[in-house]
Amino acid sequence: MSIQINHLTHIYNPDTAFQKVALDDVTLEITRGEFLGLIGHTGSGKSTLIQHLNGTISPTKGEILLDGENIHQNKLKTKEVRRKIGLAFQYPEYQLFEITVYQDVAFGPTNLGLSKEEIHENVVSALEMVGIGTELYEKSPFALSGGQKRRVAIAGVLAMNPEILILDEPTAGLDPKGRDEILAAIKNLHKERGLTVILVSHSMEDVAKLVDRIVVMHSGQIAMSGTPKEVFSHVEELEQMGLAAPQVSYVCKELRRKGYAIPEDVYTVSELKEMLLQMLQEKGVSQ
Amino acid sequence: MIRDITIGQFYPVDSLVHKMDARAKLALTMMYIITLFFIKSFVGYGFVLLVLCAIIKLSHVPLKFMLKGIRSIMVIIVFTALINLFLTKGEHVLWEFGILHLTIEGIVLATQMCVRLVMLIMGSSVLTLTTTPIQLTDAIEALLRPLKKIGVPAHEIAMMMTIALRFIPTLLDETDKIMKAQQARGADFETGNLMQRAKSLIPILVPLFISAFRRAEELANAMEARCYHGDENRTRMNQMHMKQMDWIAVCLCVIYTGVIVALRFLPVV
Amino acid sequence: MNMVKSEHLTYEYTRITEDANGEVHEKITALSDVNITIEQGEFVVVLGHNGSGKSTFAKHINALLEPTKGTLCVKDMDTRNGDLLWDIRQSAGMVFQNPDNQLVATIVEEDIAFGPENMGVEPSEIRKRVDEALATVRMEQYATYSPSKLSGGQKQRIAIAGVLAMKPDCIVLDEPTAMLDPVGRKEVLETIRRLNREEGITIILITHYMDEAVQADRVYVIDDGKLVMEGVPKEIFSQVERLQGYGLDVPQVTEVAYLLRKEGIDLPADILTIEEMVGAICQYKSTI
Repeated sequence: MSIQINHLTHIYNPDTAFQKVALDDVTLEITRGEFLGLIGHTGSGKSTLIQHLNGTISPTKGEILLDGENIHQNKLKTKEVRRKIGLAFQYPEYQLFEITVYQDVAFGPTNLGLSKEEIHENVVSALEMVGIGTELYEKSPFALSGGQKRRVAIAGVLAMNPEILILDEPTAGLDPKGRDEILAAIKNLHKERGLTVILVSHSMEDVAKLVDRIVVMHSGQIAMSGTPKEVFSHVEELEQMGLAAPQVSYVCKELRRKGYAIPEDVYTVSELKEMLLQMLQEKGVSQ
Repeated sequence: MIRDITIGQFYPVDSLVHKMDARAKLALTMMYIITLFFIKSFVGYGFVLLVLCAIIKLSHVPLKFMLKGIRSIMVIIVFTALINLFLTKGEHVLWEFGILHLTIEGIVLATQMCVRLVMLIMGSSVLTLTTTPIQLTDAIEALLRPLKKIGVPAHEIAMMMTIALRFIPTLLDETDKIMKAQQARGADFETGNLMQRAKSLIPILVPLFISAFRRAEELANAMEARCYHGDENRTRMNQMHMKQMDWIAVCLCVIYTGVIVALRFLPVV
Repeated sequence: MNMVKSEHLTYEYTRITEDANGEVHEKITALSDVNITIEQGEFVVVLGHNGSGKSTFAKHINALLEPTKGTLCVKDMDTRNGDLLWDIRQSAGMVFQNPDNQLVATIVEEDIAFGPENMGVEPSEIRKRVDEALATVRMEQYATYSPSKLSGGQKQRIAIAGVLAMKPDCIVLDEPTAMLDPVGRKEVLETIRRLNREEGITIILITHYMDEAVQADRVYVIDDGKLVMEGVPKEIFSQVERLQGYGLDVPQVTEVAYLLRKEGIDLPADILTIEEMVGAICQYKSTI
């Protein structure tokens, strides 16, 4: 399964004083099993892009093909697409409404018209994926901690059994512990379940740790696309777009400037540590 | 789609009407509305229309903008017209079918009601289009203040209106987001019968209420932290001043009311 | 004079939840025996994960909560003394996490005027204060905007201006950047630092972002309602393992330095910034 985005343009309030081009001729392909990071500052068009993928908004121009078929061709198709491409919005815990955790997660599959057994299976498997134990099933979702609420909300999307999962800022507002729990769950979804994941984030540290490929959005266009290594080596360009590379990239850049031979593909804490360890243990090698 | 609803929309241009004291404007608008229900003759309506046109001209707000307000209540106008047209009893029956009957009296009444409604909306539009919401709430507070002695919570009413106005855009945005999030979970708001549709609102309303209560609690804390304790010893940054122009407007309004009363009771016209 | 001084500050409440057997009353100790003294003009950061009690502490400074045991004084004014309530709230202003839920008025300048209006300040003086506050947070051109038209970072700066107009000696900020994007975070942090440096306002910043604590004068760590660490940033951050135990992060460079030290590389333990890291590596390299 792949998503092919062709020349996608979206204009809010066209032909009025409030006209705003949110997406400008975006072309992008996302392949099965990929873990894609989508970054860009607020207003860069990343939210508009992911809402198109889920069929919540329609393009002004251009098309999105899911396995070769246009996802906006009709209402029925849109419904099918919403099941295949799960979208967890920013602060997803604000969508919780049911009396128990179990019932809330069951909302999606129930809407799909699945049988009781199938619903149960989906709910249990979704909650397991995000690390919510059976002891919480009958609790009110509002009695949970911030991190737990968010994982339940993401489970609500997973329970529809999507083939592609899009997460908009899944770690926003969480403390380090909550953040690590969510990221571990997401990593697991990609690795163990083989889900295609699109992670929208402005935390470069999170993205660097997880994704295979990064797409950088700026002013409604794709400004960069490549492996984290390729993208994070362009520190200056990222900064000009109001973004920043992980701290590690800055250390590497500074060391390179001082004349040390630092490879370009270092961007996580453990990589930097290994690299520096090797370098500092080589006694007598001058710069 | 949901964001198209605009409440208390202000049209920012410079004009005499914009510059007027909000209290004077509010009082005069109320007087205007009362007089509308006082008129019986078409000559009277003609006179009011003339005055209204003059004020709209003075306000520098395009007529097109004013008429927008009419469009949104067209259903009510048509409904009122039909009720009056077909249900008014009278001597000069033109057509009859069951309980429906068309009479000359009905036609006159229906026309009168429609003219009244249109003029009422136009007149109050002048107020909301030329006065910022904050001036308007301040004016309401000021005009209600004398009623505080009989227990009307003037300040609290005004504060509630301000907060409501402040949070309308926020809550509309939030509704939009929640709708999209539930749609992403397969919720369907567009099909089904009335019961199903009403039921499909629960996944929107519950999160919306919870969020509204959370916001209310946080806002209460934030207001207290900024020393809010009702209107005791409270001052306002923007003081309202009745200028010469406002007094002239009040005088003109007295003359206008006099003419309306004269038109009603003097048999000459 | 101490700006804020808490002695044996303890706060307890009863949480009522429902389970199969009916109502359950649970006694929760949100803060226990916290002793913190903050001097005038200091930039203090209070760290802790969500639910650690750090926000409860913040609310005590503004007298939104009253201690169950112990005391908290703002400029020697005891927060339990109801007569001093408005003086305390004027002296120690507060900025909250959600930028949307603390702005009251539909126009920016009206919102900034809200505090001084409540205090009964003269209209002409309010006008002056509003203009000054707007200039201090560099938002003059937005004076007549509606808050709903502003970005998160801008709203938060308006909230700060609203507190500034009350002429406080101290501002408590309860996770002011948690809901902002990196650009908004930067704007807000720069504003806070400027207020501390240029206006001499005491800043108490409650957060779980470690990088915000790097430039503080003092750092306090609260965990499970108790004050568990206190010191200058370098003292705090050199204890990487302990911080991680409290569910907190350290800056990436500090973590790398810590990991290298564990491997026997003799780097300083108190590396907090990129420059310090690069400097330390060059130094190390030149000595071997």
